[in-house]
Amino acid sequence: MKRAHMKRGWAILTMITALVGYLGCYRTAQRSDTVTVYVSEDEVFSEPILKDFERETGIKVQAVYDTEEAKSTGVMNRLIAEQDNPQADVYWANEPIRAEVLKQKGISAPYVSPNAADIPAAFKDPEGYWTGFSARARVLIVNNKVNPKPHSILAYTDPRWRGRAVIANPLFGTTTVEIAALFTIWGEDRAMAFMAEMKKNGVAISPSNGESADFVASGQFDFSLVDSDDVVSRLRRGEPVEMIYPDQGENEIGCLIVPNAVVLIKGAPHPDAARRLIDTLLSKATERKLAFADCAQIPLHPGVETPPDVMRLDKMHVMSVNYADVARKMMEIQPYLKRWAGL
Amino acid sequence: MAKRLVLTSVAILLAVAGLLPILAMLVKSVMVDDHFSLAFYQELLASGREVTLMRHSMALSTLTTLFATVIGLPLGILLAKTDLPLRQLFILLFTIPLLVPPYITAVSWFNLLGRDGLLARYLDPSLAKTTSAWLFGLPGCTLVLSSTFLPIVMLLTIASLKTVNPRLEEAGQLVAGWFSVLRGITIPLILPGVLLAAMLVFLLTFGEFGVPAFLGYDVFPVESFTQFSAFYNFSAATAAAIPLAVVAFLVLAAERFFMREKTDQLRPAPDGEQRSFIGLGPLRRWVLALVSLLCLIIVVVPVLALLLQSATTSAYVEALNRAGHSLLRSVVYALVGATLLTSVGFLSGYLIQTRTLPFWRSVDALTIFLFALPSTVTGIGLISLWNRPWTNFIYTTPAIIILGYLAKYTALTSRITVSTLAQIPSSMEEAAQVVGAGWVRRMGVIVAPLARHGLVAGWLVGYIFCLRDMGITMMVYPPGHETLPVRIFTLMANGSPQLIAALCVIMIVATLLPLSMLWMVFRTAMRGGAR
Repeated sequence: MKRAHMKRGWAILTMITALVGYLGCYRTAQRSDTVTVYVSEDEVFSEPILKDFERETGIKVQAVYDTEEAKSTGVMNRLIAEQDNPQADVYWANEPIRAEVLKQKGISAPYVSPNAADIPAAFKDPEGYWTGFSARARVLIVNNKVNPKPHSILAYTDPRWRGRAVIANPLFGTTTVEIAALFTIWGEDRAMAFMAEMKKNGVAISPSNGESADFVASGQFDFSLVDSDDVVSRLRRGEPVEMIYPDQGENEIGCLIVPNAVVLIKGAPHPDAARRLIDTLLSKATERKLAFADCAQIPLHPGVETPPDVMRLDKMHVMSVNYADVARKMMEIQPYLKRWAGL
Repeated sequence: MAKRLVLTSVAILLAVAGLLPILAMLVKSVMVDDHFSLAFYQELLASGREVTLMRHSMALSTLTTLFATVIGLPLGILLAKTDLPLRQLFILLFTIPLLVPPYITAVSWFNLLGRDGLLARYLDPSLAKTTSAWLFGLPGCTLVLSSTFLPIVMLLTIASLKTVNPRLEEAGQLVAGWFSVLRGITIPLILPGVLLAAMLVFLLTFGEFGVPAFLGYDVFPVESFTQFSAFYNFSAATAAAIPLAVVAFLVLAAERFFMREKTDQLRPAPDGEQRSFIGLGPLRRWVLALVSLLCLIIVVVPVLALLLQSATTSAYVEALNRAGHSLLRSVVYALVGATLLTSVGFLSGYLIQTRTLPFWRSVDALTIFLFALPSTVTGIGLISLWNRPWTNFIYTTPAIIILGYLAKYTALTSRITVSTLAQIPSSMEEAAQVVGAGWVRRMGVIVAPLARHGLVAGWLVGYIFCLRDMGITMMVYPPGHETLPVRIFTLMANGSPQLIAALCVIMIVATLLPLSMLWMVFRTAMRGGAR
């Protein structure tokens, strides 16, 4: 009986030692040369870039990923909640509006990377609180069975597509950016009329752009306004969809460009490693990799090589917006969008 | 003395793990510009939309609980007490839906029943239009969530049946048939376990957001989610989560009220005898066909969809390359989490059942409150409390995940203990006390061995919930140390469906393999003990 008790005691002791050892190794790993990055860009696209950085610099990257599809409120809320004792060094946002929110909340710090010199001024914060790189376009994903195909976001209000269009919840992600951009370009009256018409025309609301794209690919709906990477990934999987850059006519508003944005966190625990990571993300090499990846993102640096299916900025009619204005407008119209979405 | 000290320590541990973080959030929710204000709550009550959302949530939770219980209870009885063939296999198979993220199950059903899904491709497209319309709404949400949470009712029914004294059933059988025995003796005896399962299903459904969002059915948790992710307003988000906790209290009160009349009617003396088996006779074949059909619909179809989608070696190689470490971490954290949850849950359950300390009711309410709160609220609370330079040894290590598990899931193991202890006569512990055994000895020699089935059930449930947890872990995991469910969700955005399907299959295997091994060890030990 006593021996059995002793054996059990040893077993428990061994388990505790193993656990403490495991946690100990973890702590040791934390002390080495590291950079902590919180990432809103999809993990499938961002992880290879971060692994390359690790290999090239020897700096260990510790990442926290987030996704729109996961319906997680993780990364942004974590950054805000951790403000008094920041754990992150860098935030890789998948659109510049969140970066603007961080600036307004005093969570980010300015850093002007030498690699950002020839990125157009429209895609970076003038004070250096965020810098844009590798962009997505807001495009229409259309099911191949649909004929004729829509070529403007105004198709959402066309009775021809009554009940056949879907849009991601405009309270979240890049759809919010697009709607806020329309408010800055059209003014409140016209933008609100558009939203009301769209609703009257029976638009369906999906939780995210990814799901909108899947609904269109499966034939559940005819078209949706999504991000270009949502379409390219489905095209490369052989799904029956087409990508249309909307409103490309001379007198039309053009296609909204949504760059990634990189942010240095105020009080970052590893500021030097953070700056090196930011420099790498803003390099031409990173933009080239993201152009050739399945996200097919559009480089903002001039002269970066791209695959044939990635349309270059100078070949498209781009919507002319000021991202800081869009961010301010977005904060203003959120209560309206909440009502519009019926939430 | 030792009893009060240990139980008070457990209550303090729960307060530190769960109550303090939430208190920090609650205080924020009643402060506007550093002044006390109920503005967020008034805003919430003033909106007519909240009433509709609450009605939706109540309808979905009630229907899901109803279906899960109406199917899960007889299923549990069939698999635990009858001579139905392949019972062990069925138990294993019916557990699977709980291990697959409900969102994935919803996507599988969409691939089957959507307008251009498998049904439309191979059968009638107009039928697919109807099924698609049916899937997007209350019926679809109920289908997905009932099949996901059905295993909870089934498993707790099986665990409860193991504590029933077969002599009582045998006595009943002398004067009545099996149906009457089940209705008059067995089901009343296992009622605490079944009610607990129903309560858990109700609360889990009530807090679920991903599936209703995907299937276009707005529910109450969307309000808290919106405040977090669209407005970044922690105070309003906490205020919006409070009604969820209020509903949880009401459910708890209803369960208490119901149990007050039921629990003390029959208290069997557990022993090591073999359980009675019901011979199904000529019905055996029909029942087997019925159970197989149910298994086909809610387990085989979604799992087959995953297997077909992941049916390439490269998908599994990539999955293991990308998520091998996450898998290992998930298993380690779940093992530690389940063991801790079982220990703390056992002691807090004992405290609640024996009412040893005057604040036993508060401990019970606290665990249920924490279970019902959205994970984001708990997660932000944990960050607010533990993210300080002098507590980095917790916040920047996996210890913060374990604390999160403890805050979120103690209700499970605690309530399983309560329903197990309800079956054990207090006279047994009292007898040991009369002959001079101290409390620690009584717990180790009398109470824990008698409650071993409940302890094992609690550990298994704790392991499953820790392993499948996404909400808490996503909010607090140390950078670079995500678990498998987190990895699945973060890879889901534009990741290949083959990869996601392969990861889900690995997750199912990673959960079932250790559970099956542990179950076999436990059974062997029990048989050895009985001999």
